[in-house]
Amino acid sequence: MSLVKREGIENRELIHNNDKCVGCGICADICPTESLRLGPIVPIARGLLKMDYISCNANNCVLCGLCASACPFDALSLEIDGEVISNIGSYPVWHNGAEINDEDCLYCENCVEACPRDSIFFKRELPDRNDLLVGTISVNEDDCIYCKVCSELCPAEAITISSNNEFGIPDTIEINEDKCVYCQVCKRACPQNAIKAVCSTCMHQEEIEKPKITGTIFIEQNCVNCGWCESVCPADAVKVNKPFVGEVLRDPELVCKGETCHACQDVCPCNAIEIIDNESSIDPSHCVLCGACAKACPQHLLTVKRDSMKLDNIQSPSWKSILGKLVE
Amino acid sequence: MAIIIDADKCGHIQNCPGEGLCIKLCETGALTDVDGDVAVDDSKCDECDLCIQNCPNQAISKQ
Repeated sequence: MSLVKREGIENRELIHNNDKCVGCGICADICPTESLRLGPIVPIARGLLKMDYISCNANNCVLCGLCASACPFDALSLEIDGEVISNIGSYPVWHNGAEINDEDCLYCENCVEACPRDSIFFKRELPDRNDLLVGTISVNEDDCIYCKVCSELCPAEAITISSNNEFGIPDTIEINEDKCVYCQVCKRACPQNAIKAVCSTCMHQEEIEKPKITGTIFIEQNCVNCGWCESVCPADAVKVNKPFVGEVLRDPELVCKGETCHACQDVCPCNAIEIIDNESSIDPSHCVLCGACAKACPQHLLTVKRDSMKLDNIQSPSWKSILGKLVE
Repeated sequence: MAIIIDADKCGHIQNCPGEGLCIKLCETGALTDVDGDVAVDDSKCDECDLCIQNCPNQAISKQ
């Protein structure tokens, strides 16, 4: 959504993408003109209010681009004459990110299940089942009485018995060889011994080639680099580079309201917070130190302490001092 | 500590920009809709302060 747009010697536009936004409020904290405001993140995250996390007072905004440079999730972007500022050499650049190496990927889908943002595009091609099996199956229709014992027992649902007469009486049997795995349950159960089936998969084991599972997998743009994909990947095919290094501190003097509140858990974009024994518990390995939890906590229990960040090429001294506050 | 709702700031639930957001946020059942206004049951309140923090009218406080 375009927040502010002005035309002059340069054309500048500030754009907010709420799908990428996590509601951390880094942008609102950094804005030198206090034009950006973070909305009520707890009700928004719970789906009680339908609104974007961020709103902007366009009359105050000077389109400086500090917010866009500060956002580690690329949810805000400033375009100057149609070019995003991170692509213009003189502006700061983030180096966080996540990547899946599709050469190493086993297409197990674990990362897709674990991703709290549904950021992983996944499509896999399975081999043809018939390429993994050798066998034959046939029915002697003269003997078949269409009792449906075989079709009800068939674990592969490969047998269909239907009627082609006006009375609806079963008179046709069909075996779908694409589905049949030659288990021979039908053959053993048939009261008429009408089914002939042979499985020679074991005999041909050497000749049956091990298939390679292939597919398409990539990480989409609303990824927050939480690292869940990396930690569940059995093939070490994922590399995640988080935006910040640091920790979330908890004030031991204050009391967490746990299950009755769970605001921190609801706003966390990383699925890194659980309520354990009625206490908020943050899993540092999946936390990106965005600070949404600290803003959401009504008891003000949490403080995010960032030691370093993957933002560089900050050239102006004043921008260095403002953006440097993210890691103070 | 008791939850206080400033009736002037609150107005009625039908006028609330969050359509009774405090009631929806409260998971202990301490806040309820009684004839279109918010009623407080202190015995159920856990003092999580979510209602105070998120009231769009800033009508809720603690005493």
